[in-house]
Amino acid sequence: MSYHFDWLPIWEHRDILISGFALTVAVSTAALVLAVILGTLLGTLATAQSRLLRLGAGTVVECTRNVPLLIHMYFWYIGLAFLRLPPFLCAVFGLAIYSAAYVGEIVRGGIDAVARGQSQAGLASGLTRGQTLRLVIYPQALRIVAPSLTGLFSQLIKDSSLASVITVPELSFAASAIDSDTFRTFEVYITISVLYIVVVTVTSNMVLLLPGAHRSQALLRVADA
Amino acid sequence: MPDVILSNLPFLLDCLKVTVELALVSAAGGTMLGLVVALVRYLRVPILAAVFRVYIEFVRGTPLLVVLFISYFAIPALLGYRATAFGAACLGFILFIGAYIAEDIRAGLASVPEGTINAALASGLRRGQVLRLIVLPQGLRRVIPVLTGQYVRLFKFTSVASVIGVREMTGGAMLITAREFAPITILIAIGATYLVICTAISLGGRLLYKSLAVHS
Repeated sequence: MSYHFDWLPIWEHRDILISGFALTVAVSTAALVLAVILGTLLGTLATAQSRLLRLGAGTVVECTRNVPLLIHMYFWYIGLAFLRLPPFLCAVFGLAIYSAAYVGEIVRGGIDAVARGQSQAGLASGLTRGQTLRLVIYPQALRIVAPSLTGLFSQLIKDSSLASVITVPELSFAASAIDSDTFRTFEVYITISVLYIVVVTVTSNMVLLLPGAHRSQALLRVADA
Repeated sequence: MPDVILSNLPFLLDCLKVTVELALVSAAGGTMLGLVVALVRYLRVPILAAVFRVYIEFVRGTPLLVVLFISYFAIPALLGYRATAFGAACLGFILFIGAYIAEDIRAGLASVPEGTINAALASGLRRGQVLRLIVLPQGLRRVIPVLTGQYVRLFKFTSVASVIGVREMTGGAMLITAREFAPITILIAIGATYLVICTAISLGGRLLYKSLAVHS
């Protein structure tokens, strides 16, 4: 092995890494918010009484999550190029819709796990359907799905690296730029790996912040994400 | 079928073949790697188990794209060899999916109850026999649904190989969109192909799981 390690060029290009890191956080956060909204809608529809709605929601989920994320991103960036959306938005839309299918599955499972009697009791006590969902079902379901949801968030952050393919200068894009500038290939990619691992570990442990979280189920390792 | 798909069909099928090859090689390699890593961690082999734990934590915290960059650019730079795009993609996918499969299999092995193992030992089986005849068959059967999910994920992930220059289905589709002006048609066509194959993998996994089910 005749490779000479030299980490100094990485440090000298830290400004590119920092702005890339910031953009990774921005893309992930925007996609996350959108994915949770869409996914909650999908997951709730999947537990609706109407058979048609359930079938529709299920079909949307299957058709969305069985298509590669890269195709989702190309769809917005190249397929709908005539809309001239900025790459940042294309990445957010692609990532959000892809992840919404997974959020939908988790939400559906969470709602199903809340005992049927709960919603019947809510309705019997005079709450409307919307109120029953908002005040009785969602709070209980949230606690059940919190661990899976944080796992999904970690996945989403890692997936955001594909935004680099449609020219969003986030962390992976920054790494390629620094690599072609300095040829410190190994050092660059190890550095951004470590940055991703740090964000993912922090995200996986966010379940601790939820009320009622137990320390035993928390302190997740990256491997649990 | 739209003209743009029909006229490019032979080319797209060639690309699909590369996608399937990539997926098969990576699934086979990743499963073998995962099984070895899971066994080493399950049996708590000194040193090696710790090394594999670092490997798992590293890969599972790193995006696939970065793992591919590492296998295409960083590892060859470190060891001083020239990598082909296809070879590097296979290596990257095997290292990537292997880490996930290892954790799934380990969880499956760990789910075989202590009592079952003790009963087998008490009936006179040696430790190796217990592993081979009791723990592995029971544990592996339980992880079939999870592993099927990993294979579906892997199949979708092969699209990322286009980024390092492998001409698989997504890469091929991008070449066609650059030549002909029908991006939506082409993207929908290959999207549907991924959808059909992923659904088939899921169905296959479900059938396999059912056919191996134990009726009590």
